[in-house]
Parts: sequence; structure tokens; C-alpha cells
Amino acid sequence: MVLVLALGDLHIPHRASDLPPKFKSMLVPGKIQHIICTGNLSIKEVHDYLKTVCPDLHIARGEYDEETRYPETKTLTIGQFKLGVCHGHQVIPWGDLDSLAMLQRQLDVDILVTGHTHQFTAYKHEAGVVINPGSATGSYSSITYDVNPSFVLMDIDGLRVVVYVYELIDGEVKVDKIDFKKTTGSNT
Amino acid sequence: MVKKGVPDWLNSSLWSSPQPPSSNDVVESHEPPASADVKSAVVESIVEPPVPVPPPSVTRIVEPPSSSVHSSTASVKGEIRDPLSSHNGNNNYGNTNFNNYNSEEENGISNNSSTAPIPAVGANTGAVVAPAASSLAEDISSQAQLLQELSRKIINMGELRRIASQGIPDGAGIRSTVWKLLLGYLPPDRTLWSSELAKKRSQYNHFKEELLMYPSDITRKLEKSSLENSEPYGESKGFLSRSEITHGEHPLSLGKSSVWNMFFQDTEIIEQIDRDVKRTHPDMHFFSGDSTVAKSNQEALKNILIVFAKLNPGIRYVQGMNEILAPLFYVFKNDPSEENAVSAEADTFFCFVELLSGFRDNFVQQLDNSVVGIRATITRLSQLLKEHDEELWRHLEITTKVNPQFYAFRWITLLLTQEFNFADSLHIWDTLLSDPDGPQETLLRVCCAMLVIVRRRLLAGDFTSNLKLLQHYPSTNISHLLYVASKLRTHVAG
Repeated sequence: MVLVLALGDLHIPHRASDLPPKFKSMLVPGKIQHIICTGNLSIKEVHDYLKTVCPDLHIARGEYDEETRYPETKTLTIGQFKLGVCHGHQVIPWGDLDSLAMLQRQLDVDILVTGHTHQFTAYKHEAGVVINPGSATGSYSSITYDVNPSFVLMDIDGLRVVVYVYELIDGEVKVDKIDFKKTTGSNT
Repeated sequence: MVKKGVPDWLNSSLWSSPQPPSSNDVVESHEPPASADVKSAVVESIVEPPVPVPPPSVTRIVEPPSSSVHSSTASVKGEIRDPLSSHNGNNNYGNTNFNNYNSEEENGISNNSSTAPIPAVGANTGAVVAPAASSLAEDISSQAQLLQELSRKIINMGELRRIASQGIPDGAGIRSTVWKLLLGYLPPDRTLWSSELAKKRSQYNHFKEELLMYPSDITRKLEKSSLENSEPYGESKGFLSRSEITHGEHPLSLGKSSVWNMFFQDTEIIEQIDRDVKRTHPDMHFFSGDSTVAKSNQEALKNILIVFAKLNPGIRYVQGMNEILAPLFYVFKNDPSEENAVSAEADTFFCFVELLSGFRDNFVQQLDNSVVGIRATITRLSQLLKEHDEELWRHLEITTKVNPQFYAFRWITLLLTQEFNFADSLHIWDTLLSDPDGPQETLLRVCCAMLVIVRRRLLAGDFTSNLKLLQHYPSTNISHLLYVASKLRTHVAG
């Protein structure tokens, strides 16, 4: 039972000053085993804060990140699942599911986490699942101003993943979940 | 014997060489006396010690009876040279008054038998210079005695305790069953065993299921009752459907009653248990190392401790419980019966609870200074030492100011598991567990005996050397130690 936090596009300090307090109160150290961040933090202080929540942090570079040494894409294996992360501004058209599916096949991962659109999506296709955790601070995107703060927590348990979607709607935290299973293990 | 300074019996030649039968001390109580003095049997109407043993000089080695508890006593009989003349009488043993039954040590000097008393061999607990053959003979005899006792329909607990207190031989794997009986896990009536075991084992599995479930499984169970099972990947392509969460249960929930929240709160304790389990007996392959056996054993220990901590929120888990658990699990897991070995975890859990019930107070910090707490127990040990060996007591506590808390704390709370090697501590536990009043009394006596045995070195030492000696107790002959401890019982000053 591994808890993986996926978030990104915070744009601190340029477009938002901080995470919403209700989110911050929930992100307590010790509960989460991994963090996957889609990028655009943008400054080191945010990186340090995320490190306090969980020391195992994986970041892909977004176009506004001041730290230039994050990789463009990153893959990691957690349990039976291979996860990939990429900011998403490189994939054109932005947010297009077929193009993201192409990226997923290139990275050969079961779950691809991307951002940039600041909208939560969870999409399934033959090669796997694409998850966009949205923007954790609710900052405006290149596409729209109407953004709800959101992030995603994945509970990986064997071949099964439960995805909890946390959204801040009208000042209240709403949590939904999505359940999906993988058909075979990825040992070979 | 008026005691001034060193008690006479301490200095007697009793210890340096095995003693021929001397005085006719009759031990009245049915407590295990284990004294080498007692050679002559004062026999009640029927019974004799069931198994006399051929003298050590006999080259024919008696085959140990088959380790199966179900071996008929007939086979035991067939292999021992001296016929168990009163064997049939033993079957009616059940309720006879054995209070006056003069128990002797296993080298059973049976008055009925024609074998001469074996002069060369002291009691199991007293033979400092015992020849190796005789200890083999003792083992075989006590083993045979135990097997015979165990094969009865209704086991006589007092008799079992008596035999067990002299040590359970390692060979036949009966220790597991005997300990279960001594701890009250198995009832004395053998016919009830299978039903009791099945009941307890299923109860433990039930506990495990309830308490060791991950929150994700718990929530899934809750959901199954409310939603119908919808296949998540019915469509091969498309947006994944979002569903409501049940009862507001999500991993970051901060609610007091949230399953997840409670899970994370328990995580701390689980981590501590995990750390301690990994450190248990690192020198033993059974417990430590990378083998799958060790890992599964560690897993079992962890489960037991976690279930115990969750069922006992008052005491939770305290460091040291793993040390008390380890010998129990080792013995039960090495039970020659396959069925028992597989369910060792469940059996160990209940026996652990039973054993700890007497010692709980040692682990509760608030009780430290109370009448039942660890400090009071240590004070009692100190009193005991003062009674038996005033000179040593004075030297230790007053002259060299070695506060008994410095050494006795670990001795008492961990039931001496840390002071001796593993095999020896099993032997000591045989004696501890067979005390019908609970292990604590015997424990204090054994601790006192430990002090008395090294008295020369203690008397000659100062604070540093004494403390060092007591905190790294030198290995001794366990039989000798237990013998001294039992002598302390019969030689109370006053």
C-alpha cells in the first residue's frame, strides 16, 4: 500500500503565493511515500517544502521552473506500476490525449502524469492511464483563468490503483476517487 | 541452621562433588524440590516415580521414546529396563494425594526397583561434576516421565509442573506441548485439545484480519456493501469515471474516526515494533538474516506484537516485549508436529498474553513506583538477598553502592532472556513457567541465586567491577544455578 502524491503547476511566487491552507493542513509528513511533480513550482523554496512532506521527490521541468536541472521527463517504478512524469508543454497540442498517449508509449509507462493545462483529467487508453493533477494552487494557465486548485493522491496496492482526487471547490475540499486495475504484472 | 554470614549449605561440599544420599529430608510441599539430599522415597500407597533409569555404567543406551505425544505408555515401558511395576497404578494417579509424594530427581531411586541408588549423580539441578552419561540418562528419564504424564487422558498439572521444573530435555520436542500446558493454553484434559486449539487459532486469525487490514482494504469492504461491483475497465478508451468516496474516507483525512487517520497513528508503534523485531537475537538464523525463514518468523513476531498492541491500548507496545516473545515463538515453531508448527503464531499469541499478564506491571511506566511496579519487585529481590546472604547484600548495596536497579531491571523485566545464551534461557524458563504461583517468585529466587553464585567475585570487587560483572553476567552451569535457586526456597532464614 504505497501512497503517491501527484501535483504540480503551483507557479509560486509568480501566479500564486502559496498552497490553499486546507490543502496544506492535509499534507502532513509521514503519510506519503513518494511525490511526483509535473513542474512549474517555480522556486527552490517550494521544492524544499515538498521535500519536507516526503523526501522521495520526482520532478519534471516546467517552462517556468527556475531550477534548470530538472529532467524533461522521468520514469520510475512503484510496486507493479511504471509511472512517468512530464510537464506537458512539450506535447503539442497541449492536453491532447492522443499525443499524450504517444508520449506514454514512448516512455513505456502504465501511468503518465502530466500537467500544464491546470485542469484535472484522468484518461484511459490501450497503453495505460494519463493523469493530470491540475494546479495545486489554482493559478491561471496559458489557456484559461478558471482553475480550481486540485491535486491527486494514488494508493498503489499490488495491481490495483485507487486515485483520490482532491479539489477545492467554493472553499471546500471535495474528494473523489477512481479505481482501476492493471491486467498483468510488469516483472518481465 | 542459624544463618550468619554465608549460609552453611553454600559452603558445603555438596557442590563440589555429587553427594550420596544423606539426610532423609522429606519435602512436604509438592513444589519441585530438586534437592540432591532427597534420595529416599516416602511412598504413598500406590505410586512410585514412573521411570527409573539404568545406572550410567550401562552401555545400553535407552532409546528415547518416540517424540509423538501419543506414544503409548506401553512402548515407554518396553524400553526401560526396570518394569514399571506400579505402572497400572499410575493411570489412576489423577487425584491421588501427592502432597506427601516425595519427589526425587529423575535418576529415580525407586524403592521398588532393585537397582541401587545411583550415588554418582546428583540431581539434574545439582550436578556440578555430573558425568555426561548421567545427564543423558537424566534427560531420558525426565523425557520419559514427561511423555508418560502427557499421554494421560487428564494430565496432572502438579505432577507436570514438578517434572518440568527440573528441566525439559531438548531432544524430544515436548517442550512446546509442556509450555502450552503450563501456561494454561491447553487444558489438562487431552480430549479437549483439538477443539480448544481450533477455537483459539481461529480467534487469532480473526483478530489478525480485523486489526491488520490496510485502510484501503477496509474502505473497499465498506464499499462492497454499498455499491455494486462495477468493472472499472469496461471501456478500453475514454475518460475514467469518478466516483464518490464513502464516509469521507481518504488517505489524508484528518478526522478522528477516519480509518486512515488511525492507521497512520498506529504506524509509529508499528515502526517501533518492526525495529525491535529486526534486532531480536541477531545471532540466530531463526530470527535474523535474509533467509525467507527468518523473514517469515520476523513477520509472525511483528503480527503478534501488533495485534497485542492494538488489543491492549493501555499498555501498547513497550521495548522488551519482543525479547519475551522470542523464546515462546521459537519453541512453538520448532514443535515436531507439523500441524502445531504451522499454527505457532496463534499459539504463541495466546501464551504470550498469558505470560505477560503476570508481568504487565513491569511495563507500565506509571506503575514504576507503585507497590506492584518494577521498583517494588527489585526491592523484594534486594530483601531476598539480604535474608539469605547478608554479607553480600551489605557489600553490594552499602559498601560498593551498586543499586540493584542497575542490573536487576533487565533481569526481571526480560525474564533473564538477555543474560544467558538462548538454550540456557529456555532451560531457565522451564523452571520459571512451572511454578504454580506464577513465574515471579521463582524469578526472584533465580536472580538471588545468580548473585550468590558469584559472591566471591562480588565481595572482592568495587563498584565498577561489580557492576560490570552483573551487567555482563558470566555464563554458568544452568543446572547449578537452578539448584541454588531451589535451595533458596527451602532455606529461608528466620
